[in-house]
Amino acid sequence: MKKKKSISELTLKTITNKQIKPIPKWEFLAKNWTLWAGILASLIVLIIGLGLVIFGVIDNIISPYFWLIVAVIFFGVSYVLFQKTKRAYIFAKWQVVVTMVLLGLIIGGILFKSGLARRIDKSMETNIPRYRQMAPMKIATWTNPEAGYLSGEIVEINENNFEIKDFAGKAWTIVGKPLVKGRVQMQVGEEIKIVGSQEDENTFEATEVRPWTGRGQNMMKENY
Amino acid sequence: MIEEKCQKFDDNELVALSLDDSQYFYCLMKRYEEKLTNYVKRFTYLPDEDIADIVQESFIRAYQHLNDCDCKLKFSSWMYRIVHNQAINFMKKNKKAVKIDWENDDEFVDWLVADTDIEKETIIKHFNEYVKTVIEKLKPIYKEVLVLKFFEDKDYQEISDILQKPMGTVATLVSRAKIQFKQIYEKEKKY
Repeated sequence: MKKKKSISELTLKTITNKQIKPIPKWEFLAKNWTLWAGILASLIVLIIGLGLVIFGVIDNIISPYFWLIVAVIFFGVSYVLFQKTKRAYIFAKWQVVVTMVLLGLIIGGILFKSGLARRIDKSMETNIPRYRQMAPMKIATWTNPEAGYLSGEIVEINENNFEIKDFAGKAWTIVGKPLVKGRVQMQVGEEIKIVGSQEDENTFEATEVRPWTGRGQNMMKENY
Repeated sequence: MIEEKCQKFDDNELVALSLDDSQYFYCLMKRYEEKLTNYVKRFTYLPDEDIADIVQESFIRAYQHLNDCDCKLKFSSWMYRIVHNQAINFMKKNKKAVKIDWENDDEFVDWLVADTDIEKETIIKHFNEYVKTVIEKLKPIYKEVLVLKFFEDKDYQEISDILQKPMGTVATLVSRAKIQFKQIYEKEKKY
């Protein structure tokens, strides 16, 4: 009686008959590098996104929601891609999530502190036509004279006061001796934010003048 | 002949040699054929021909992916992982539930009764009656971990590599398996 072939013998026969070969090493390496390149790219976008969110929240100049959505999407992409790596399973899910969020917040925070987040925002505004619609500047917060906040462009400088046109197009005379903070150039064409109080329909007494796109660490407290 | 030649090589050396000569892969298959067949049998309860198909498909897949072998792990863990995934896919495709051939294994029984008020004698006496039924009611992932731990004698590191779960999770699954066993056992006992 003919002896029944073992699984190993049958498999070797199949490998030989069908000329099955090991997949070349370079294919696995290419796949692996592509995966890691994807993770790196999506982490960079996540970090930039979080840097711009911090910029939006702390400087209160742009609405952070667009960048928050970008950060959430790329957090998801980074997470899914990382889970496809060979050794991802040795980490608990919460460890991966916490590491990615901390990494994003720390490097994003550095981007904000160094002023790079603001430069990225400016560069996006210059180079991407509809960017400002997606990440609008928070004009409303600074067009609230009753609450003591006003913003606009200097249109005229006089001896004892100056005049601005707010972003809604209304003309204002600014009186008082305000403290000029940041890199404000008191000249026609300069866009500024003013803290103070409304005197009458068209007059505003200023206590502080700040640059429109400048950085102010305490604005959050004053706004809310 | 080749089998004699292979004896002096460990698994990782055989993997390297198999890349140039499939005869060496035959030696690797021979080393694991029985263990893997028993593992699939215990964990799927499938007919022999289906088990043979799963093991054969796993060997072919392993051979094709030799260049991707994560040989920092034990070869056996990598091979068990492939056969485990192949078996799970087969079960899903054929809509079969994981059903395990539990044995009245001493170490397993000791583990079941440790830190519980269940007596070992009771478990042994009723193993085939309803202890097996209770174990079958555990979540599939608990059953998979228990098979690897008690019947394949894998340590937590190896189970982690096979099931691709963190070691801490493996330890948690083992202890949760016992909690669930105890709950179902107590409930079943009432009837």
